[in-house]
Amino acid sequence: MTTNITASLAPQADAGKSPEQLLAERSARFEDASALRKPDRIPIFMPVSFFLADWGGVSHQQLLEDHDKRQQLLERAALHFQPDSILGVFNDPRAALALGDRMTKWPGHGLPETGSFQFAEHEFMTGDDYDAFLKDPADWSIRTYLPRAFSQLEGLALLPPLAMAAFGTYNLLNLGVLRTPPVAAALKALAAAAEEQAAADAWVAESGQRLAALGFPPPPLVGSLIEAPFDFMSDTLRGMRGVMTDILRRPAQLLEAEDRVLEIQLEHAISFARTTGLPYAFIPLHRGSDGFMSIAQFERFYWPQLRQMQLRLIENQITPVVFYEGVWNKRLDYVAELPAGKSIGWFQASDIFKVKEVAGKTLCIMGGMRNSLLQAGTVEEIRETTREVCQRVGEGGGFIMCTGIGEMEGCKPELVEAWVRATHEFGSG
Amino acid sequence: MSDELVEAIAEMRDEEAIDLARQLLDSGTSPLVVLEDCRKAMAIVGQRFEDEEYFIPELILAGETLRAISEIVKPLMTGSDDTAKNGTIVLGTVQGDIHDIGKDIVSFMLDVNGFEVFDLGVDVPPETFVAKVREVQPEIVALSGFLTLSFDAMKETVEALQKAGLRDDVKIMIGGGTVDDNVREYAHADAFGSTATDAVNLAKNWTGVGAR
Repeated sequence: MTTNITASLAPQADAGKSPEQLLAERSARFEDASALRKPDRIPIFMPVSFFLADWGGVSHQQLLEDHDKRQQLLERAALHFQPDSILGVFNDPRAALALGDRMTKWPGHGLPETGSFQFAEHEFMTGDDYDAFLKDPADWSIRTYLPRAFSQLEGLALLPPLAMAAFGTYNLLNLGVLRTPPVAAALKALAAAAEEQAAADAWVAESGQRLAALGFPPPPLVGSLIEAPFDFMSDTLRGMRGVMTDILRRPAQLLEAEDRVLEIQLEHAISFARTTGLPYAFIPLHRGSDGFMSIAQFERFYWPQLRQMQLRLIENQITPVVFYEGVWNKRLDYVAELPAGKSIGWFQASDIFKVKEVAGKTLCIMGGMRNSLLQAGTVEEIRETTREVCQRVGEGGGFIMCTGIGEMEGCKPELVEAWVRATHEFGSG
Repeated sequence: MSDELVEAIAEMRDEEAIDLARQLLDSGTSPLVVLEDCRKAMAIVGQRFEDEEYFIPELILAGETLRAISEIVKPLMTGSDDTAKNGTIVLGTVQGDIHDIGKDIVSFMLDVNGFEVFDLGVDVPPETFVAKVREVQPEIVALSGFLTLSFDAMKETVEALQKAGLRDDVKIMIGGGTVDDNVREYAHADAFGSTATDAVNLAKNWTGVGAR
């Protein structure tokens, strides 16, 4: 297959280039930007996600579950819009559905087929669970947490303490429990979910190869997924209400738990990078934004652990790609303390010019285009915003143009076209 | 009134506050007086939130303390609590979106600022907003949404109020996630807010209570 370089959105400079050459040039743009160098032009990354469904005329459910259709639309969008990198919907509901996942909702499964994937927070871990969690996080996770969070894994609550495995041959006397109907059902559900996830993973790998063959590299965030230790305790364990009151009611336990999940996640991210060769760890932040907690609380419960996480990743040659959700205008001085040229910061709604001013010599900045503008703005507004962002944030390099969030659902195709065209125009030279 | 109770709630000493409330009631203090102390404490908490001295941890803890005390007080209540309100607000997260954190904070802040808030919850269809507006005739409708998908749902909700002939009777504010002035214009709302304090100021302005 050859690249349709005659597409109207392709910059003149790309005319006549082979996919191999385009792939090399686009990859180099991301590498340059990440290292705070100035690329030949500002790279633009489009996390299209559910935009593909509306643009391609399929339901959200179909986009998530029909891999062939998804790939077809992804390739068509890449060739039409000509970004430097594109990302479709990155998750697949089938493993979650096989396990009866209680924390996610999917189009066509509990939501209309036109709905958007949503995360439904629960307090799966109560305040009283801290002692058990801290004593043995692995055992607590498998025997207490999984049965609460996944309806098909309730049987795991019947398992004997996991460390009984160390009793060797004598523990074989406990194996019979695996055949009891609730445990057997849980093991069967796990095996089924593993099959589904393996199929989804194989598709992700193939999708990446097919896009590369067309000249489009993966975006600079494909790697392990981890969270700031505070967010880890919040999102899937205590829920926001729980963790926020822990700050006031059980600060010592919260801090100890954060230390534990910091080490657990670092071990995972380092081993993931070594096994896959992927050099990134993606860290989407949730509760660090201005407005959630005071600066004093942030300095005690949020930033030291997140900073430590980033420093340790960097020591291990892994690039942290941090999604600074919300507004970080009052917390940019902390961000600016990170080692220079070693991380990427994706900013949702922070003042992007202030980010450049305060942290532009520290990290590669990703973002710059508000999603609302691509949905409700005009071509003129898009061009003007893009021009200003390219000139001011792109100055000297270290910038990747992108939407504020990793979801372009609802964006108008003609405005997206205007945005890409303006980025090519104002991002060159 | 008990300064001690007001202070214990406002200073985040939740267990002490609950014990104090129980002691006051046991020693014959009227449940209405205890509730009034709670209201005073909540006003302090709300003020400190607006002053950016308190943040979400304090709001949530104060809310939990209030709930615990209310549960003790309620069985003892004989009369009704008919404190005059600054105005009525119908609030909810729009259809297709189940996020409630921002909405709950706005709800709390409007409540402590003296508004009567009818919180319709999350994933609220336009027709539910219409029915509630028709029923309680609020001055204000507040629409929340975190997903970009919610922009369309906000627009549809405003249109539904228009079709029902109720649009001109209410002021509509929107907020949450990536909502900004582009979205306000797109959805034909009257104003947008980025914070719970914005919501309070808008509500005060619109009802003539006077914003800070």
